[in-house]
Amino acid sequence: MLQRLIFERIEQRVLVGTIAFLASMALVGWLAINEGGRMASFEVQYTARSIERGAALFAVNCSECHGPNGLGGAGVAPALNSPHLFGHDYLAVYDRELITLEQERNNPATTAERVTEIDARMQELQNERQNVINQINTVVEAKPGGYDPENPSRLDDLAWAGSLRAFVLTTLIHGRPVSANYWPRQMSAWSQTAGGPLRMDQLEDLTTYILNWDRGDNWTLDDLAAVNQFPIKPVDPSTVVASDVQVIVPGLTDANANPEQLDYAAIDAELANYTGDPQNGQTLYNGALGCAGCHLNAAVAPVTEGTWTRVQELRLQDPANAGLTGEQYLEHSILHPNEYLAPGAPTGGSYPGGVMTPNFASRLSYQDLADLVAYLKTQDQPLP
Amino acid sequence: MSILPFPSFFDDVKEKGFRKAIFEGINEVVERATAGMNVQDIREALRGEAPSRKPNPRLQPHADGFWLHMRPSYFHKSVTGIYPEFRLGWLSTYFVVFETITGIFLMVWYTPSPEVAYANMLNIMSGVPLGQFIRDLHRIGAEAMVLIVTLHMLRAFFTASYKKPRQFTWFSGVILLLMTLLLSFSGYLLPWDQLALWAVTIGASMIEAAPPEVVGTNLNLLLRGGPEIGANGLLRFYLLHVLLVPALLFVFTGVHYYKVVVHGHSLPPAQENIGEDTAKRVPLDKRVYFIPDILTSEVMWIGVTTLILVILVTWFFHAPLESHADPQVTPLGTTAPWYFLWIQGALKLGDKVFWGIIFPTIAFGFLMLMPYLDTTPSRRWAHRRTAMTVGFLMISATTVLSYMGLSEFGVKNSADSEILHELNMPPAHNHMGKLLPVPYDQLVVGMYTTRQLEAEEGQESPVVAAFNQEIQENGRGALLLNELTGADYLAINSLNFTTLPADATDLHKALEFFEHELQNRADELRNAWGGIIITEQQNGLKRLDSFIVWEEVAIENGKVVYGMDGQPVPVLDDNGQPVLRVNADHIFIHQDSQYFAAPGS
Repeated sequence: MLQRLIFERIEQRVLVGTIAFLASMALVGWLAINEGGRMASFEVQYTARSIERGAALFAVNCSECHGPNGLGGAGVAPALNSPHLFGHDYLAVYDRELITLEQERNNPATTAERVTEIDARMQELQNERQNVINQINTVVEAKPGGYDPENPSRLDDLAWAGSLRAFVLTTLIHGRPVSANYWPRQMSAWSQTAGGPLRMDQLEDLTTYILNWDRGDNWTLDDLAAVNQFPIKPVDPSTVVASDVQVIVPGLTDANANPEQLDYAAIDAELANYTGDPQNGQTLYNGALGCAGCHLNAAVAPVTEGTWTRVQELRLQDPANAGLTGEQYLEHSILHPNEYLAPGAPTGGSYPGGVMTPNFASRLSYQDLADLVAYLKTQDQPLP
Repeated sequence: MSILPFPSFFDDVKEKGFRKAIFEGINEVVERATAGMNVQDIREALRGEAPSRKPNPRLQPHADGFWLHMRPSYFHKSVTGIYPEFRLGWLSTYFVVFETITGIFLMVWYTPSPEVAYANMLNIMSGVPLGQFIRDLHRIGAEAMVLIVTLHMLRAFFTASYKKPRQFTWFSGVILLLMTLLLSFSGYLLPWDQLALWAVTIGASMIEAAPPEVVGTNLNLLLRGGPEIGANGLLRFYLLHVLLVPALLFVFTGVHYYKVVVHGHSLPPAQENIGEDTAKRVPLDKRVYFIPDILTSEVMWIGVTTLILVILVTWFFHAPLESHADPQVTPLGTTAPWYFLWIQGALKLGDKVFWGIIFPTIAFGFLMLMPYLDTTPSRRWAHRRTAMTVGFLMISATTVLSYMGLSEFGVKNSADSEILHELNMPPAHNHMGKLLPVPYDQLVVGMYTTRQLEAEEGQESPVVAAFNQEIQENGRGALLLNELTGADYLAINSLNFTTLPADATDLHKALEFFEHELQNRADELRNAWGGIIITEQQNGLKRLDSFIVWEEVAIENGKVVYGMDGQPVPVLDDNGQPVLRVNADHIFIHQDSQYFAAPGS
């Protein structure tokens, strides 16, 4: 039947062929009409999957330092999930109106009546603005790194001329070698072109993911409060001291510090005159000194939690530490850490030496040292 | 007198009048273009009338023209229907042309470099109007061509068309089958996605096994351009795909078709005996002339086949594109393309050199030589019992080996990895993790456990509450929390499982699947429970952590060891307590990422 219809009669063949051709053309035409929408939807879908892949890469490679939610690690690395990176200006809404009012006020055509009105409004705005600044300062007061609501943009701080995307991508490609001067570890180069482990498309995914933290105009003060660590502006590392009072032994650097320069007996005697403030000790520990950066991860250093318990129950039982009190053990191991390497590293044996800098005698005053010890004494959680 | 120094169209106009001159001019152009048929001849042919002048103008294009010089001017009536050829040989040729045309379009948008190849794919999909359409057509054409060419070979086998005098036609046909496989396979790598990289890695590693070692190693280096497939390897596969193999394919297509014409199309077995050559001896009453019958039929089939392909790619088929190729990450369950599964299956039988190289070589060598080995003088099935037996054995063996090539067969991974993989795997081979297509609005932040599904209807809440209590008391919760927050950097502080939201039906199904799998593998995963923790990672981005906690059992050679009581033997620690194991994996789901189950899966 089919054979007779289609194969044996030429006019049927011509008809079927023509219909098939026209139908193909109609379908292609229909596809072409919808093609713009399809391409756009592919783009959206692809960006979404790029964010997913970026998130997976971030969890594995970045969250150790920048935190699982990108809120930064105190003393380790700055927040990326932060209005500061995206340059959100909490004051912009007031500043915009203030400028407009200022211009109107300076216009000779403005009536005196209107000027009075403007002055009142400007005063009101100034108050509100100050109010926001105060709120922000309260929120970020204890935050390491510091945040200035008047200069809210990271890119402006760095005088970066390109786009934010380029900033993030470039940083990922080459890392931040200089960051070792003010963070415990530098950021390594992540791109294969720069000797790192990741391909360019992976870095693009990571960048897309990081930029997806941008909340546009919807950043709130809660977002600011959630940040653990703001970026630190570059400073010469040798000038980083806990406070500007007299240090214990001036002039020590990583390179020249050795235990012989420390007269422990004299230091212990002097230290007895100071009363430590655990609150201030905590601020130093988590902030300027960056201790918490390493001591939060048992793979790198003994964790902060339970320090005092371990000193009392384990370290002082070690014959090598005979004759020391717990406070003295802490003081000495802060001032010259390489002599007091604690056991218990996950790789077996003691934690490696040379990781913690041995120049704290030149970076701390007696008061700072007493504060740190006082803070560590509060870490008396029971052993696991 | 003409104003030009030679007679021109204007002279014609002056002489015959404008109308007549135009018609005669057109007629002449048409006759020259068709190498012999004028407008009237074409009209008669299309009307199905007999030619009105002699010599028969419909034979002229075959004699004088280039395009039809290799086509016979008439066919035997018995081969113009569906049986015995099913148009398979013609369809194979159609796909050669079809793949060339769609391939050239794709070449415009493609650069064979690992840095940009994948980005080119994305651009073809998102930035080139109808780019995806052409890519889909090229891909489905490639798969169809492998299928059609294979069927064409089977047809020639069943009708015994390979017998004398057509032995060499069959031989060149097997070469064309190899070319087709090689073309399809070399094109596999070009998108530079995970599917491509790993399928080709499997294929190329077989070449490495070629004996002796010095040959295998160097062949492999030659093909891959280095120890690993990289920039050089991609360029080589590209050149194979667009230059070398197509060039050879065109040449052998010519050889094959020339042989078909020289010996004539093989008639059904009942009408033609061994050794008979029908080409020059078609009786007048059996002749079907190429013009107009075969030509219109072929043009019709071009229209119909193209329409079918267009319909398929419009609604039913999209060329897969997996994530970017990554030599560091081997996807679980990697397989070769379906037409090479039989080799992959054979490789599981043992020696790489024998099953990967010698066995396929013998198989194809046997296929090529078959017409010279099987010289029995009859085309009737009843007289070809040995050949038919061997043929069916080969078909069965290929089918069984192909099944064995599937990753489901014989490849043992630990039960926990397999279950987590089934939940989380990225789309591959028309298959994706059960969690991926769950609608975004069902991914409600919370912690859910498979224990809920063991509860009787209505008892879910108390069961989950008891479960929270239980894992807190036996320390397994702390173990899990440690794993999730430590190794996986999940930002949570404590565990608190709740029942699934009532309207999250797809999530419920995924969890049911999870529970079902845990039950299936209960021997390996003793007292196991699993769960899914959903957290909000970013605006519009959720993180899904799935995990299994179980008591380890003794496993030897991938098999569970059973004790005297017929139960799996648990592994105990120094205190006589079962050793606990945790495995966890996580994925991120964005609200716009649109994971749909592939059509037909």
